[in-house]
Amino acid sequence: MIKLLIVGCLTVMGLSAAPIQSDKEFQQAVQKMGKENKLVLMIYTADDCPECAYMKQKVFHDKTVEPFLNRHFVVMEKNVHRSSLPDGYDYFGIPTMFFIDKAGVNKETLVGSKRPKPFLEALHSVLGKK
Amino acid sequence: MRRVLAALLCLGLVQLYGYDPAHLKKLLEEKECIGCDLRGADLRDIDFSGWDLSKSDFSHANVSRSIFVMADLNEANLSDANATESVFWKGTMERADLTRIHAQGANFKGTHLNGSNLSFADLRGTKSWKANFTDAVLRKTDFTDAELGDAKFIRNDLRSSKLIRTLLWKTHFSDVKMTKAQCAHAKKEEALLDSNVTCR
Repeated sequence: MIKLLIVGCLTVMGLSAAPIQSDKEFQQAVQKMGKENKLVLMIYTADDCPECAYMKQKVFHDKTVEPFLNRHFVVMEKNVHRSSLPDGYDYFGIPTMFFIDKAGVNKETLVGSKRPKPFLEALHSVLGKK
Repeated sequence: MRRVLAALLCLGLVQLYGYDPAHLKKLLEEKECIGCDLRGADLRDIDFSGWDLSKSDFSHANVSRSIFVMADLNEANLSDANATESVFWKGTMERADLTRIHAQGANFKGTHLNGSNLSFADLRGTKSWKANFTDAVLRKTDFTDAELGDAKFIRNDLRSSKLIRTLLWKTHFSDVKMTKAQCAHAKKEEALLDSNVTCR
């Protein structure tokens, strides 16, 4: 029984520690890009997180942000309590946003919410590092 | 003569805000200090997460960039303290004296500030998502550029406080006194104002 539990734990740990390239949602996000050279914006959220809701409902849909976001990024969400998190993408606060290229390299990490204007500036800055 | 007077004055001030060295030692060794005298102490860049610091006197202390995650600061005195960029995330600061606290850029996310006195507090650029300000005294409190999304304001008088560019998305206001301009800003920000809010 104990052996089974250990094997089970190791399996779960193995699943949560998979590299980003083998993450299903990441693969789907990369597929969505097609030949376009976009970045994946992976946002870590939680159910009881008003800052996350503000980013998703207000900032991402802001009239100055949304067109730019759609043109250069593919958004992918991971609920930290319900999704397996890729290896090397730890977080301190929620929301955390990672900007990842097709090869799975993290270009930038943003922690916490931002108003539309500073968020748009941050997006421009991230693209500058591409 | 003037220099002597100035020196005496300085010495007097040092004495006035001088902490108890035994209390400071206890704080750092035992990781808790209830009712301690830490006035004017230099406590920058220290991790106090989860410590019980209730009823302690941090007035005029420098706690900038220190971490107080889930710490107990109930009935503590942080008046005139420098708490710039400190993190009070999910802590309790109920009935605390926070008058004239300098807390620019600090994080009060999910912090319980019920019944605390935040008069003349500098809370510019703070992040206070889901913080609870029920019954807090907010006389001339500066919330310029602060983020107060989903925070709770119940039985407060905000009329003398600054809410310039303050983020108030889904902020709850109940039985609160506000100016007309503050109410207009809150509504524009999609705050939730109940029928007991007065806008004058």
